[in-house]
Amino acid sequence: MPREIITVQIGQCGNQMGSVFWQRLCAEHGISKDGTLEEWATEGGDRKDVFFYQADDEHYIPRAILMDLEPRVINNILTGPYASLYNPENVYTSKDGGGAGNNWAQGHQAGEKIYEDIFEMMDREAEGSDSLEAFMVMHSIAGGTGSGLGSFVLERLNDKYPKKLVQTYSVFPNNEELSDVVVQPYNSILTLKRLVNHADSVVVLDNAALTRIAGDRLNVQFPSYDQTNQIVSTVMSASTTTLRYPGYMNNDLVGIIASLIPTPRCHFLMSSYTPFTSENVDKAKSIRKTTVLDVMRRLLQPKNRLVSTVSNKDSCYISILNIIQGDVDPTDVHHSLLRIRERQLANFIPWGPASIQVALARKSPYVSSSHRVSGLMLANHTSIASLFRRTLDQYDRLRKRNAFLEQYKKFKTFENGLEEFDDSRAVVDELVQEYKACESADYISYGAPGDAAGP
Amino acid sequence: MPAPDTSQLKTLIHQITPASAGNTSLTRELVDHAHYLGGTNQAEDLADLANLMQRHVMQTSGSSTPSLRLNNLLSRLYDQTALSRKYAILSFLYTLSQQSHPTSSYSTISNPPAGTARRRNGPSPFNPSLDAPFSASSGHRGANGGPARPEPPVEGGMKSKAALLRAYRERIGKPHVPMTVLLRDAIYLLQGISGHCVQFVSVTTDTMEKEERIEFVAIKEGFIPPPTRVLLHQLSELGHLHSLIASFLDERSLSPTVGLVEQSLHHELRFQLTEYHKLIALLESHASRSKAGEDGGGLTLMRLEAWVGEWKLRLRLMSVFVEGSKNAHGGKLISLIHLHTKNGDPFIRDFSTQILEQVSKPFFTSLQAWLFAGSLSDPFGEFFVAPGKRSGNLGDRPEREDADADEIDADFGGDIHRTWQEKWMFRAEMMPSFLDEAFGRKVYSTGKSLNFIRYNCHDAEWVTKQASASTSKSLKYSDIAGLEKSIDLAYKVASQRLFEAFLVKYRLVDHLQALKAYLLCGYGDFHDLLMDSLSALLAKPANALYRHTLTTRLLDAIRGSNAQYDPPDVLRRLDARMMEYSHGEIGWDVFTLEYKVDPPIDTVIDPDGINNYLKLFNHLWKMRRVEGSLGAAWGRVTSGARSVSRVADLQKDWHQVRLVMAEMIHFVRQMHAWCHREVIGAAWKDLTEFIHKKEGDLDGLIEAHNEYLSRMVRKITLQDSKRGHENNLATVREIFETILQFLDSTDDFWRYTTHAAHIRDRERDNVRGVYTALSLNTRDPQVSEEALSGILSRTKEFSGKFSHLAGDLVISLSSHSDLDIRFLAVSLTGFSTFYPGRRDSSRG
Repeated sequence: MPREIITVQIGQCGNQMGSVFWQRLCAEHGISKDGTLEEWATEGGDRKDVFFYQADDEHYIPRAILMDLEPRVINNILTGPYASLYNPENVYTSKDGGGAGNNWAQGHQAGEKIYEDIFEMMDREAEGSDSLEAFMVMHSIAGGTGSGLGSFVLERLNDKYPKKLVQTYSVFPNNEELSDVVVQPYNSILTLKRLVNHADSVVVLDNAALTRIAGDRLNVQFPSYDQTNQIVSTVMSASTTTLRYPGYMNNDLVGIIASLIPTPRCHFLMSSYTPFTSENVDKAKSIRKTTVLDVMRRLLQPKNRLVSTVSNKDSCYISILNIIQGDVDPTDVHHSLLRIRERQLANFIPWGPASIQVALARKSPYVSSSHRVSGLMLANHTSIASLFRRTLDQYDRLRKRNAFLEQYKKFKTFENGLEEFDDSRAVVDELVQEYKACESADYISYGAPGDAAGP
Repeated sequence: MPAPDTSQLKTLIHQITPASAGNTSLTRELVDHAHYLGGTNQAEDLADLANLMQRHVMQTSGSSTPSLRLNNLLSRLYDQTALSRKYAILSFLYTLSQQSHPTSSYSTISNPPAGTARRRNGPSPFNPSLDAPFSASSGHRGANGGPARPEPPVEGGMKSKAALLRAYRERIGKPHVPMTVLLRDAIYLLQGISGHCVQFVSVTTDTMEKEERIEFVAIKEGFIPPPTRVLLHQLSELGHLHSLIASFLDERSLSPTVGLVEQSLHHELRFQLTEYHKLIALLESHASRSKAGEDGGGLTLMRLEAWVGEWKLRLRLMSVFVEGSKNAHGGKLISLIHLHTKNGDPFIRDFSTQILEQVSKPFFTSLQAWLFAGSLSDPFGEFFVAPGKRSGNLGDRPEREDADADEIDADFGGDIHRTWQEKWMFRAEMMPSFLDEAFGRKVYSTGKSLNFIRYNCHDAEWVTKQASASTSKSLKYSDIAGLEKSIDLAYKVASQRLFEAFLVKYRLVDHLQALKAYLLCGYGDFHDLLMDSLSALLAKPANALYRHTLTTRLLDAIRGSNAQYDPPDVLRRLDARMMEYSHGEIGWDVFTLEYKVDPPIDTVIDPDGINNYLKLFNHLWKMRRVEGSLGAAWGRVTSGARSVSRVADLQKDWHQVRLVMAEMIHFVRQMHAWCHREVIGAAWKDLTEFIHKKEGDLDGLIEAHNEYLSRMVRKITLQDSKRGHENNLATVREIFETILQFLDSTDDFWRYTTHAAHIRDRERDNVRGVYTALSLNTRDPQVSEEALSGILSRTKEFSGKFSHLAGDLVISLSSHSDLDIRFLAVSLTGFSTFYPGRRDSSRG
């Protein structure tokens, strides 16, 4: 009776991420491309049943639901080496194959149309689980399908499965440079509202940061999607290690999230990972010195974060969970924590006790690594608001000119006006305000009657 | 060489020997002889004498230097005109040299004392040559044809001064007792028998102790002068010691309780006494042989004393041992004797060593049996290993250890786990002092290991094989270095074997791991599952619980988690049960997991240890329960955040609740992680390091495990001996309790909020003209208002109590004596020194 997690990969980006993620899970659990257990995969200790179910004695099938409004990416997956891994009944591609045209509204409306199809898959998977704990949604917030259909799925999941956790791995656009999708800010704002209201935890991945890390850490000038997705899958697999390799603690997602997210809206997590190696991604720079202290120190460095944020002097951590993998002496963790505390390498919120939580996790015995220790940090940091702030600014610039609104007005949500835009903006703005409030000790009385905040 | 009186001589010869009358050659020969005998020819005789002396010197010294010197002296003597009686002088000197030669200054100085030489020669100190004390020069020893026995002084016309004195004494009526009488008495005295004029009497002294002393009896033969008395007194000491030893031997040899060590001491003492008797016999025969002589034929009291001088020391030492053996026993006695082998006097040292060699034989026999076969062959309790106290009450049947070792096990009954600790005991006082106590401990442990392997691990075959392989090694006192090497080797082999038996045959590590996984909650998924399925049950009163339900749930949890991959032998031992409960307790209070260990594993993991494990389980299980409840509650209030937000006026209260909840989650998770990572993880690491080293013996293993366990108990229960810190565990429990109460009231709040949200939804629907059927019973808003304030005040109360308790705990822990626990305080506080800060502000 495991605590199952169903993954939902939506849109081009989501399916690409998911594809790499599942490849990695297979490697870590010793599952071959067609879902059979490799002969050498005899070492126990892992729980395959969190992410896989067994069709028969030999076949492991991912609890994965693949959906897209255009068939290209999914077809690639279904003709690729891992084609027979997935349950074909769990794949939805739009018959017309038109995609969402980078339009949130189009994607969202398509969701209404295909609701029956996609929720039939969801329900079947949910019923097939003994004690379903969470849905894990992978998508990007900039395009049409990931954002629009993703938002729709989030809304409906919340209605249908109000007691299940919804965690998303959401890729934010690289808003440091101009994008080919000009309506990105619109899509982002609209999706962010759903992420605020309908998800329990959002792991923010930022294309800008992914590109930067691929460049800095891996020496690649223009990383391919596959390379950045390798980074993402590394983080995703690391953040689920404690679920898949049970230890004394952190064996359920709710425990992990509960410790990271004290208040419901501030649930946008940033992640860091170190060290990236050639096993994870091609041509990685080798990082030789990997003590626990090094790993924990590097995890706190902004350049290792998978999201680009702008910190100011008040920015602080609301919570941190470090998942350290490998051969770790518990006393090293102790000393590292003391060192980091002494040197005040991490600032924490002033309104409650908070510290770096350390979870020691096993490594997959089947994936060799040249590093003794590797670490993942999941952190709730107030500087994430700067990302939303930037999105808001871009949105405001676009909105002021009323640019590109026509194509949104074609769809039902905006037929009768653009209130949805305003509402979404308000939600995101409120989120930014709340993160700001988190930096002060007065957060205790946040949301008091008379306060401007609150819907 | 014709002389004037030759013709007269011839006539005389003819008269005496008529045969020579017609025989001129015979006549001449006889004349020559007569001349020689008459010694009238001084010059010629002088030369003769000189030759004689020359030869003698050559013989005795063996080198030419003294003879050259003699020649030199002689020639100077010839030149002396002032001396007229040169022949007489030389002849006196020659006679002198014949008599006093052995004590001449030359030989005494240039040769070591005879005693040393003889002692070096071996165990039998007795020298058959009676002349020994006098012919001290080692060069002469063994050559019985050494210097001629002193000739009785020529009874010439003049009497010696001593004879004159004796005659005088006789004349005045105070004659000394004759030497012969004294000698006879002395020889009696040497054997502790009263003699003619000297007698042993026992006297009761003032202190009521019996004391032996000698008395001189006045006899008619004469009177004994004081110097002689002193001599006799000294000789009588030997007799006293002799009778002491002899009576001791007679007395003890009849006793049935005499140990083997003492028996061999007796044996050695008897042997020594026999040697002593031999000496006395020889002395006696010598004394009687020379009885004819007026002066006792060279045997005087003085000489007698010299002869027995060495024996006096021996007897003294022996009497010390005898005295000691009355109080000491076995190993102690050996130690006592060994004490003397470190004496500065080489004689005492050698003699004690010699005795010890014999006396320690039974000890080494026991040692051999113990060290190589693990069996105790020590019928008299002399070894430094003894059957433990428990088996002590088995009565007096310590003999034939092989047979009853198993019976001892049987007698331990349910406490077989104590076998290792209590079957045997180490008696440091019985430890011979020539062995280090460390070595003794090793020996003790080796035998214990072998015995344990044999009877508890049922591997007698190996032990027998081992024992037969080692019998070739003989252990003895004279080879201490070899002994220590053998001990080391045997220790290593036996400990290794036992260690391996535990690790490989009995899979100790598996059990330790299982204990860590199940009782120390190392298997998170298993415990989560078990708790999920049990939580509803455990909320019921303890007497409503059924054991079979628990067992079923346990099996479900095993099947549903990774625990299913554990070896069946481990899972078979796992059980779930209720502890004894009293009225009013609920399932949570009494539920416990249990892990059964059987012999011989329970030697390491003994019932006390299991109790400690259960104690830890109880605490960790509680912690896990609180953490789980917090997680569930978090899921409710966060996943349901949307519906809460519809009741805007409760927003602020919910915000407060969430922040307090976050604080609690932080508290419990930090403590939980600390317990597992800093305490259990670190302790486990040390334990496995010890096990992997495979050094030390079972004792070491037991100790390592005890240390592992007690360290965890100490830290997890936050023990502190300091005043004012005793209640840390109670505080933690109270905090847990408070958190659960807080969560209860949060649940009420949650129900209230959802209810209110429904009402508002309906109102909104009503406004829109939609009628929604309500399954909820609409309550009076007034009542709800009161309910709300009640809920809120309870929530506030519990959150306040939590903050207070947590703050107290952090302050108490931050001055804890244990660094790890102080680190827990740091972890609980977080990076921003939250608690102390808040306390300061609340005080100020």
